[in-house]
Amino acid sequence: MSGGMAGRAEGRVGRRAGLTWAVHLSVLLLVVLWTLPTAGLFVTSLRDRDQIAVSGWWTALATSTQSLVFRAPAGEGEVEEAGRFVLRGTVLDGGAGRVTAFGTSSRAPAAFGPGETADLGDGVRLTVAADGGYELSGPQSFKAGRGQRIFHTAEVPPRFTLANYAGVLGAAGLGRSFLNSMTVAVPATVIPILVAAFAAYALAWMRFAGRGLLIAAVVGLLVVPLQMALIPLLSLYNGLGQAFGFDPKTYIGIWLAHTGFGLPLAIYLLRNYMAGLPREIIESARVDGANDFEIFTRIVLPLSFPALASFAIFQFLWTWNDLLVALVFLGAGDDRLVLTGRLVNLLGSRGGDWEILAASAFVSIAVPILVFFALQKYLVRGLLAGSVK
Amino acid sequence: MKTLDGTVGRTLRAMPLLVLAAAGLAPQGAGARDLVFAPGADARIDWAGYDAYAAAHDLSGQTLSIFGPWRGEDQVLIENVLAYFEAATGATVTYASSENYEQQIVIDTQAGSPPDIAILPQPGLIADLAAKGLLAPLGDATRDWLAGHYAAGESWVGLGSYPGPDGATALYAFPYKADVKSLVWYVPENFEDAGYAVPETLEDLRALTETIAAEGETPWCIGLGSGGATGWPATDWVEDLLLRNEPPEVYDGWVTGGVPFDDPRIIATIEDFGWFARNDGFVDGGAAAVATTDFRDSPAGLFAAPPRCYLHHQASFIPSFFPEGTEIGRDVDFFYMPAHGGKDLGKPVLGAGTLAMITRDGPAARAFIAFLMTPVAHEVWMAQSGFLTPYRDANPEAYANEALRKQGAILRDATTFRFDGSDLMPGKIGAGAFWTGMVDYVGGAPAADVAARIRAEWDAVR
Amino acid sequence: MTQLYTALFTILIGIGAAVVYFGGSNWLLDRAFPVRGPGGRVAGDRVAGDRVARNIRLAGLIRPWLFLGPAILALGIYLVWPVAASVWLGFRSRDGSAFVGLENYRWLVTDPVFRESMLNNFLWLLVVPAAATFLGLVAAALTDRISWGNLAKSLIFMPMAISFVGAAVIWKFVYDYRGEGEQIGLLNAIVVALGGSPQAWIALPFWNNFFLMAILVWIQTGFAMVILSAALRGIPEETVEAAVIDGANPLQIFFRIMVPQIWGTIAVVWTTITITVLKVFDIVLAMTNGQWQSQVLANLMFDWMFRGGGDQGRGAVIAIVIMVLVIPIMVWNIRGARAEGGGP
Repeated sequence: MSGGMAGRAEGRVGRRAGLTWAVHLSVLLLVVLWTLPTAGLFVTSLRDRDQIAVSGWWTALATSTQSLVFRAPAGEGEVEEAGRFVLRGTVLDGGAGRVTAFGTSSRAPAAFGPGETADLGDGVRLTVAADGGYELSGPQSFKAGRGQRIFHTAEVPPRFTLANYAGVLGAAGLGRSFLNSMTVAVPATVIPILVAAFAAYALAWMRFAGRGLLIAAVVGLLVVPLQMALIPLLSLYNGLGQAFGFDPKTYIGIWLAHTGFGLPLAIYLLRNYMAGLPREIIESARVDGANDFEIFTRIVLPLSFPALASFAIFQFLWTWNDLLVALVFLGAGDDRLVLTGRLVNLLGSRGGDWEILAASAFVSIAVPILVFFALQKYLVRGLLAGSVK
Repeated sequence: MKTLDGTVGRTLRAMPLLVLAAAGLAPQGAGARDLVFAPGADARIDWAGYDAYAAAHDLSGQTLSIFGPWRGEDQVLIENVLAYFEAATGATVTYASSENYEQQIVIDTQAGSPPDIAILPQPGLIADLAAKGLLAPLGDATRDWLAGHYAAGESWVGLGSYPGPDGATALYAFPYKADVKSLVWYVPENFEDAGYAVPETLEDLRALTETIAAEGETPWCIGLGSGGATGWPATDWVEDLLLRNEPPEVYDGWVTGGVPFDDPRIIATIEDFGWFARNDGFVDGGAAAVATTDFRDSPAGLFAAPPRCYLHHQASFIPSFFPEGTEIGRDVDFFYMPAHGGKDLGKPVLGAGTLAMITRDGPAARAFIAFLMTPVAHEVWMAQSGFLTPYRDANPEAYANEALRKQGAILRDATTFRFDGSDLMPGKIGAGAFWTGMVDYVGGAPAADVAARIRAEWDAVR
Repeated sequence: MTQLYTALFTILIGIGAAVVYFGGSNWLLDRAFPVRGPGGRVAGDRVAGDRVARNIRLAGLIRPWLFLGPAILALGIYLVWPVAASVWLGFRSRDGSAFVGLENYRWLVTDPVFRESMLNNFLWLLVVPAAATFLGLVAAALTDRISWGNLAKSLIFMPMAISFVGAAVIWKFVYDYRGEGEQIGLLNAIVVALGGSPQAWIALPFWNNFFLMAILVWIQTGFAMVILSAALRGIPEETVEAAVIDGANPLQIFFRIMVPQIWGTIAVVWTTITITVLKVFDIVLAMTNGQWQSQVLANLMFDWMFRGGGDQGRGAVIAIVIMVLVIPIMVWNIRGARAEGGGP
């Protein structure tokens, strides 16, 4: 897989080392630019919700100074010592970190340094140590109050949680939805490829009346907005369902819909690729008496693997990440909900649970990335493409 | 590269099998749902009425499909309520929701495959469905029942009544679940630290705003961001202020188009909102932050140390976006958005809610509407939290906590209750031009220009 | 486990049906018009020869349509018919119940938001296809030359694989704006660190278009890279080697030897992304919904089609405008197809 051309060039001309470095650096820059936003989402998916809303995701990577509020318990765990009620504990969640200042009023949240004693009036005293330990004491029991707020500024080490992923992966019906998505996406990828490959071959290498017109129509249909087609198609399905007495929302229905919507791009990409195949091999096969079906299945199809694999990736991504078509043609019922639908429903009626959004984005990306890895090797030079020309 | 690819490839190839195996073993949706409160056990809930309903309805073997706006945690809550309907009637309920419910319901009804029951929060959309003949009228008996059993019953009947395809107005939608919007959230301890008092009148609220700003602090947190719906929190502000500035008739005229959008009274109210939101000293982050801050992130300023703001105007649902562990009544509280002391307009309340309608008529759908008339249908959700109802026979004791009971009381004590106006206006205005207009307004456009533009768009809507 | 088997079974049925059609129909055609005698020998005598010639001709007439049949059927039902329905709806009222003539078109040309959308779409068309294709080409060419190229490719491709919901959150954390204090948006954090003042990026009229475009470029570069990389690897090595021997430097080789050879593929990528741009609406819907003067045609259409019960007539005319805009690209592609003259 290693780049053959680069290797040859290097072998011949030594002074190109500097250029190679430039290539490495430019690719690195591109990769960083392209990955950084996603990396942010990944870090976000490992943070808890309250942190996400108040600090940038990059702050989670290092120790950061934060202004926090801790509420001491309302009397639970207090002990009586020398006529005074005393509450002890730590203000730091999880115990790690260092307190640099504290206070008891929202107006002066950093009035005292660690170890100092704050007088809250009525004989109530508070001290917070640098390690987060606090001692609150007063002449009366704290049970009557609502719990003293302790404002503190602390240096907090990075803190990550897997709770978001646990929440997403533990959602009821996720496994079912995973299977539903697979059931939708695999045939909805393979069927259009088959249909489009035959059509693309016909448009590239067969002679018949109206070929140019058909090619134009395919390009034109590329632009048809999906949303426009939904209502007419669903009423067609409903009409057929009523006439023949079946449920209009079936897997076959959604495969055909994805096939129809994906076909223009598939035919367009494949036809352009196939038309670029060397004429000689096809001509010589014809001379040998092979018919078009044989030429297609034995020569053109194997040669077209890179294009087939690229389109397979795109179509799979599209069907896997699709929500709209699935909701319309398969419905939102519990037993038919696809993965995207299930994950979106986790967000609650008003959305905006960034932590769930982030975690679910990475849960649903797993499969498309696998498909990309699996098909990537077919994207390299096709079996013969290099040698036949 | 080759070896790396190989290993990664092999591991990755093995993974789907693992995932599939795990998926196959995972428990699937439980068939019959458990009832969260065992019938007869919880004294707050009207079990006698439930038993009577169960005795009168038998839908064994029938199914009922419901499409609603609730997802996530709310979906669990509604499904718990629906479990009682299933247990009482023997019917099987399938509940579905979608992020784009508006689009989904338009597609499904127009293509001819609607659910049996649709529950929607947008009267404008319901009006459209009713006018297209896609809803079944609920009948006079239901209308009279609503008028008699809901607090401010006539205004709820008005909310559910729309002109049908023949132009005759009838009750098409049954209000179920309400939100109170006239609330201002604050942190009581921050008020104590600073020595502020909860304002009793709108004049007091303005004075408090000025006091806080004069002390170098920021009074308000306002965020209008909401993705595709950016701008809507501002419409609540304007509506709430209009109910305080003018008699409810002006409000009714405004939402139905009788009072044009660029009426001086409306423009003055928009400017009232601008007094709060367009003043750099009054809002967290300055006026420029208002339009882009996400409404879900905006209350965070209340809880910061030191606080980034002291007041936040938002509906009763907002606590789900407060930091984890926030307890209403201790860490945060709310007060009724006060009315003008100098105007005799009573205590108007702005609210919102969801309405249930029959999109495919049948005995099961009718039985479901009847179910919504039983106190149980309300009390079960009240007891689970996150639900307000104007239904008088629903036991207030059933509310899960004091905060909800207080909001429920605001709803019941309202002298005037008005539904969120942006939901009542035509969809293109209330869920479009009005939002956009408010974003433009906080961005610096003059109120008169914005209002004139919204009016022009309203005139263009058919 | 039954679910798993049902799923697998369903998948096999679907794929099997497609395979059976193509294999079966061609088998039938070969049986109906045999061109070879039993055992594969070409028949020798003259009468048989005539029949063979006739059969070859007839099979040649029919076979393209066997190949094209399913595609034409699917395209007809799923795309052509809805287009026809839209043209019809474009002359109808809000709910399609009454004929209104050209009323919807008259509304369209006077609508200021439509004009704004056209202008924005024009900007998008100018920037996004060019930027994504160029970056994709650079990425494809560079990653082919380094040892960790496949890893780099996977990372650049990743945005394509992220669901739209995920992408919207990703960019929220890039463009987020806080008036003062700590920024949680990456872009503003960088600006503040460099001593600037934070900006509400997506609320800056005109410029916000470019911030939204960046998202689509970010997504589409992976697409361009994958297709162009396959094309680059298909270039015959001899042409490059000849240039190396002639002493051309790598840049010359790339622009003078390699790029011209994959010109057709570049055109395909550019066309595909152009069409994606015409259809783009989810980015705009999720980030601004057309506010702050960032409306585009596809989102405007979506808005009219579904918001508040929808206005079928107006939604349809906007869809028609989008389809008309693609005609120049269609013409250009047909010319390309004629010039390249693929096929016999």
